[in-house]
Amino acid sequence: MSKEVIEQVVTYLTPNVPIVPISQGAEAFVFTTNVHPYNASACKTAGDIPVKYIIKYRPPKKYRHPSIDKTLTKHRTLSESRILAKLSQVPGLHVPKLIACDVYNGCIWIEFIGEDLPESHGFSNLKNFLWMYKTDPYNIAVEKVLFKVGEQIGLLHWNDYCHGDLTTSNLVLHQENGDWSPYLIDFGLGSASTLVEDKGVDLYVLERAIISTHSKFADKYNEWILMGFKSVYENEGKKGQQKLKDVIKRFEEVRLRGRKRSMLG
Amino acid sequence: MVNLNSVPPKNGQCYLALGLEGSANKLGVGIIKHPFLSKHENSDLSHYCEMEILSNIRDTYVTPPGEGFLPRDTARHHRNWVVRLVRRALQEANVSDPSQLDTICFTKGPGMGAPLHSVVILARTLSIMWDVPLVGVNHCVGHIEMGREITKAENPVVLYVSGGNTQVIAYSENCYRIFGETLDIAIGNCLDRFARTLKIPNEPSPGFNIEQLAKKSLNKQDLVELPYTVKGMDLSMSGILGYVDSLAKDLFNKNTKNKILFDPKTGEQLVTVEDICYSLQENLFAMLVEITERAMAHVNSNQVLIVGGVGCNVRLQEMMATMCRDRSNGQVHATDERFCIDNGVMIAQAGLLQFRMGNVVKDLSETVVTQKFRTDEVYVAWRE
Repeated sequence: MSKEVIEQVVTYLTPNVPIVPISQGAEAFVFTTNVHPYNASACKTAGDIPVKYIIKYRPPKKYRHPSIDKTLTKHRTLSESRILAKLSQVPGLHVPKLIACDVYNGCIWIEFIGEDLPESHGFSNLKNFLWMYKTDPYNIAVEKVLFKVGEQIGLLHWNDYCHGDLTTSNLVLHQENGDWSPYLIDFGLGSASTLVEDKGVDLYVLERAIISTHSKFADKYNEWILMGFKSVYENEGKKGQQKLKDVIKRFEEVRLRGRKRSMLG
Repeated sequence: MVNLNSVPPKNGQCYLALGLEGSANKLGVGIIKHPFLSKHENSDLSHYCEMEILSNIRDTYVTPPGEGFLPRDTARHHRNWVVRLVRRALQEANVSDPSQLDTICFTKGPGMGAPLHSVVILARTLSIMWDVPLVGVNHCVGHIEMGREITKAENPVVLYVSGGNTQVIAYSENCYRIFGETLDIAIGNCLDRFARTLKIPNEPSPGFNIEQLAKKSLNKQDLVELPYTVKGMDLSMSGILGYVDSLAKDLFNKNTKNKILFDPKTGEQLVTVEDICYSLQENLFAMLVEITERAMAHVNSNQVLIVGGVGCNVRLQEMMATMCRDRSNGQVHATDERFCIDNGVMIAQAGLLQFRMGNVVKDLSETVVTQKFRTDEVYVAWRE
């Protein structure tokens, strides 16, 4: 991870906010911290588990013109924060809570979701979770989780939002009363959209992600996800049935299309 | 491990290949030599063939300012010149007996139909005349292999930017996979068409002239705001072209109602043609660098190779270098106009690699050229 960027973040946040870098994407750096930006009582440890928050920072990109950089950083941080704020109001939908955002500096403060899986299987995202069960791939626990994943995506789409980058690492599992419950994270490419096309593409992207990382059991896995997805729409009566038909039809079309076509200027 | 020596050369010492390229307005003929070395028998050295360029000749069909090249006229240009160029190439390479050649490589696609046809007809004729086997080459793979051999980049993320193509490519499992590409027109096409609107010369190339104009911009702090259209890993450029075209037209017609170009009170001109060129470049290249960076993060690579005609643009190379500096161990590989712009050598290089893996045309019916030929359709046998 680039030292320079970490220094930038430290100067921006001041030394009062200790940070631990956890990952670097193409666009943003992700850190954890135990400091809440405005609620002092929330910084204390709850029991013996230290409280953690996520800071997502979009560093300025030196390669592009400063004015392009400024507009993009502001636009993307703002849209991500907006979507998170909107989605946290949808009943039943699990997304991390937005705590604070500074769109001009490209910084978002959000709730920390997830934990470490037992027996050093890594962080509790769906990818590692499925790897953990690779010796027992059709365990009822896997089926339950994937069904819930489908439900989450169904809820997202039913409310006319799209994720844009659904992969198994962008689904984090959080334990509640001994049950795993999936959270959607990283809405950097998310949008509010009523188009069936976007929803079909979302489903297709997730299907591809599952096939490419867990190819042996992918058929069953995708079936379970789709079952969860359908259950949300089917609960919405006749209107839901109709919309579901449209989305699934488009999803199958996108799959056939294979996305890529011949290109000629 | 790959055996690049499965087909021994005719003379037992080195391979000789002739490459013919004519998929767009450039007609290129190149002759290259690969030494026959035992280290290529069992290794992954397709980027280390120790290629020697014996000749690299190109002739470009240049149209008057404000006009693009039409397939029919371009094909006529190619037909008129191709025999002369092959003669010159053989002479420069000191190949007195053309039947010494191991293979003749031609562009199979993608490209414009008529120019491709006129070149492949010559390739077939030469093959029959000299009794030399033919190899059909994908134009994009030609660019990639050429770039790898020249820069010695082993496994880079490739940004292929030219008049007909805009793709971000990475290698995996015997295939050059396309990670992101343009959804409508190519970047070179966008620049060329804007150059046509500006009526600036097509000599040496419209993109080069835009780059020179952009350098002269006196107001580099304030960009003219243009649409920024990255869609995930893909991008779209037709909207940007339409917008800059309308700006340029307003500028030429002195349409003082346009508040971006003219001060609404005094009617004073705020933006020049040079400023628009500068903003256009900054905007387009920022989009390219962004999707390249995304692909690099995705495949965990730190090398970039820029190929294709637009790859000669110094500003693009500069921006890519800045991006790579911020990534650990980032490296940019780019070549100059001899190799960036379409040429015969690149076709010869990719074709010879195919030939050395035993992939040759067995019957003339396999030499049909195609306008649509995707980079990921080629089975890359010469890499691990």
